[in-house]
Amino acid sequence: MFLRIVADSFGRRPRHKLLTGAALALGMGLATAALSVSLDVGDRLAKEFRSLGANLIVTPQADSLPLEIGGVDYRPVNAGAYLPEADLPKLKTIFWHNNIVAFAPVLEARGEALPFRREDGEDSPGNWINDVPLIGTWAYHAVPLPDGGEFQTGIAKTNPWWQINGRWFSDDARECVVGTAFARKNHIRIGDSVSLAAGDVTKIPSPLKVTAILSSGGPEEESIVVPISLAQSLAAKPGQYRKLYVSALTKPEDAFAKRDPKTFTPKEYDTWFCTPYISSIAFQIQQELPGTDVRVIRRVAEGEGAILTRVRMLLWLVTGAALLAAALAVGASSAASVIERRTEIGLMKALGAGSGTVGFLLAAEQLLLAFVGGGAGYALGIVLARLVGERVFGVAPQPSLIVFFVIIALAAGVTILGSAFPLRRASRYEPAPILRGE
Amino acid sequence: MADRRMSNRAMFWRIIRRLFGANPGRLFVMLLALGAGAAVTAALLNLQVDARRRLTTEFRAFGPNVLIIPKGSSAASSETLPGSTIHLVPVNLPDGRVTVSSTLYVVAGVSVPQSGKSLPVVVAGTNPLAFVRVSVFSSTSEANLNRPAPSMGEVCVAGARVAKQLGAEPDTELVLASGPRRESCRVAGFHQTGGPEDDRVAIGLRTAQRLADLPNRISAIELIVPGTPGEIQSYLEDLQRQLPDVHVRPVRQFTEGEARIYNRISGLLTATVGIVLLLTALCVMAAMTNVAMERRMDVGLMKAIGGSMRRVLRLFLAEAALLGLAGGILGGALGIFLSIGLGKAVFGVAARPRLIVYPVAVALTVVVAIVSAFPLRRLASIRPASVFRGEA
Repeated sequence: MFLRIVADSFGRRPRHKLLTGAALALGMGLATAALSVSLDVGDRLAKEFRSLGANLIVTPQADSLPLEIGGVDYRPVNAGAYLPEADLPKLKTIFWHNNIVAFAPVLEARGEALPFRREDGEDSPGNWINDVPLIGTWAYHAVPLPDGGEFQTGIAKTNPWWQINGRWFSDDARECVVGTAFARKNHIRIGDSVSLAAGDVTKIPSPLKVTAILSSGGPEEESIVVPISLAQSLAAKPGQYRKLYVSALTKPEDAFAKRDPKTFTPKEYDTWFCTPYISSIAFQIQQELPGTDVRVIRRVAEGEGAILTRVRMLLWLVTGAALLAAALAVGASSAASVIERRTEIGLMKALGAGSGTVGFLLAAEQLLLAFVGGGAGYALGIVLARLVGERVFGVAPQPSLIVFFVIIALAAGVTILGSAFPLRRASRYEPAPILRGE
Repeated sequence: MADRRMSNRAMFWRIIRRLFGANPGRLFVMLLALGAGAAVTAALLNLQVDARRRLTTEFRAFGPNVLIIPKGSSAASSETLPGSTIHLVPVNLPDGRVTVSSTLYVVAGVSVPQSGKSLPVVVAGTNPLAFVRVSVFSSTSEANLNRPAPSMGEVCVAGARVAKQLGAEPDTELVLASGPRRESCRVAGFHQTGGPEDDRVAIGLRTAQRLADLPNRISAIELIVPGTPGEIQSYLEDLQRQLPDVHVRPVRQFTEGEARIYNRISGLLTATVGIVLLLTALCVMAAMTNVAMERRMDVGLMKAIGGSMRRVLRLFLAEAALLGLAGGILGGALGIFLSIGLGKAVFGVAARPRLIVYPVAVALTVVVAIVSAFPLRRLASIRPASVFRGEA
């Protein structure tokens, strides 16, 4: 009988039920979208912040002080310490190796350059240019990993604001990229080639093909960027580098992360170690690469932390408002659907049903509606979240099961709450006046 | 004829008055729904307008975003600028003040007299010196650049790595030497930035100029320009036009990343606020429809005594619009106050109320109220007799 009444109620007024269900689905759909987007946003924004480039810098511990003015190191080439390039795959073995988005070693050198102008298929040499800053690095480099895989990284990922007009050199070819200011001054174009030498040369070394012009807005525009192996042979430092830029996904630092790790209890230490704070990632890199000094580039890391924290708070606030509004909308419409059925309730009571039975019956009906509407709303919300995610970040958020349960629970809770109030009022009614239409 | 219209109008308002007065409970529910909707709308709109502005302020945490350097070099190098260039930089922008600092770089031998340790170090003469961000790097380095020096000497800020290699402590005396010229300063604090500043000693500009024997010359000017990425770009172009003898360049790492992130965040904010506004409208409509459906009897009566459907509808729409106006005015004001508090919670600074938000929120509420009164059209098909018989 119970099921029959419920089935009858749905069958008798399908349009009406559809309307209530649609309002429920719409509300829950919007709530789903808001919730999925804000659950996803932290990771997504953290990735966006990597467009600011590296947030960690690794230098040799025993290094002499760089005499760097405006990005140019005025130290003599022989001064200072170097680090072995062969150790770099170890970076991807640290606890938070998945959070290391990119890294690139840099070896700066100085040398002489001899440009060759390419004209009518012939290379005509120009004049030697003295004291040219050379930057040896990886452009796109496949780092072999200990577990057998490969990791694509390089300066194009750690310094994403470097704009390349052309294509990056391949690491094993005799190719180079020329800074735009240097190229303009010396009339070098893509397709020309440049010979590089350091110290006394007896014969002109085989030239490097220019594959692109680099514009970075910084001192790099005055230099030539070459594969690191070339810079190493010019500086006579085979297999070594001087600076390593690391770009890592991190959790914004809170008061806990700002404490000195030495003061931690063992338990706190474990928590700190197992949280991707920038300081714990720096610590792990330092453990893996002995003899290095890993410093946090505060300018990048702190700005990022501050903005991420604020945006996350803002979004949770807005999502909270969305959930509240959805709850109110759904609650109001379910209240309306109960009020409309006063006559029916009156009839049931007149036929001898207790308040409990009537409430139970209506609650079952509302719950059924909530599950169907909530489910449909979830599907709708996922589509909406995809649209928003793709528009804003270019990537759709992953549908999450937690959101599904939250939404279903919310729909059920809100419909029950929304109908409870008018039900209580209805249970106090005497059946007779209602049936008389008063 | 005019007389009839007059009495018609009088009757119209009389009915409206009665509609409001008849059921204070129902009126309260409707006002509550509309007011809450208007409050949420106004709060979010105000917060959104404010959050964009506030975000650009937050981005200034990244430090200088524009550099002025001598022409012909894309980096600050041995070439210098006249110190007066700094006075040509416009500092007052609609979004706030531009922070300006000028620097002269000198390579000098820095030594600690007590220990005799000596190193070649880049000395950055900075004006104002307080522009140098001092971060705590050991527990004793609570620096205070404004503290009067005990011995009237110069004050300087040592980079963390310089301090480590020289073994400098707070209040250590440093001697800077360049050629025959000598200056001394007292370490007031340390800074650790992870950038080239760690390898430098920052000192007052005048001292550095004396040390380099370059009176009134500077190597570079650093600017912190507030505003959206677009505003910064146009500021840059204006500045380059005003100062043709120097090279004005953005610190592209930050200006470009910022533009990207700013667009993402503001897109996200717009999307979520859009969703919430839709939900609010839905909520208000659900509540209003609810109330409208209870009006069947009224409609039936009006039709029974000869009211045409158009006139009945006009009556209800007027009622809805009035309610929307009242709810919007009350709720909008509440919402703006709410957003001030919310702004304080999120950004630590109270959101500045934007006056434009208020009329927009009120207008939106009125529109939603009128739209949600439209289900009343369904009552057009009502036959008065069946209503009075108690049928649906």
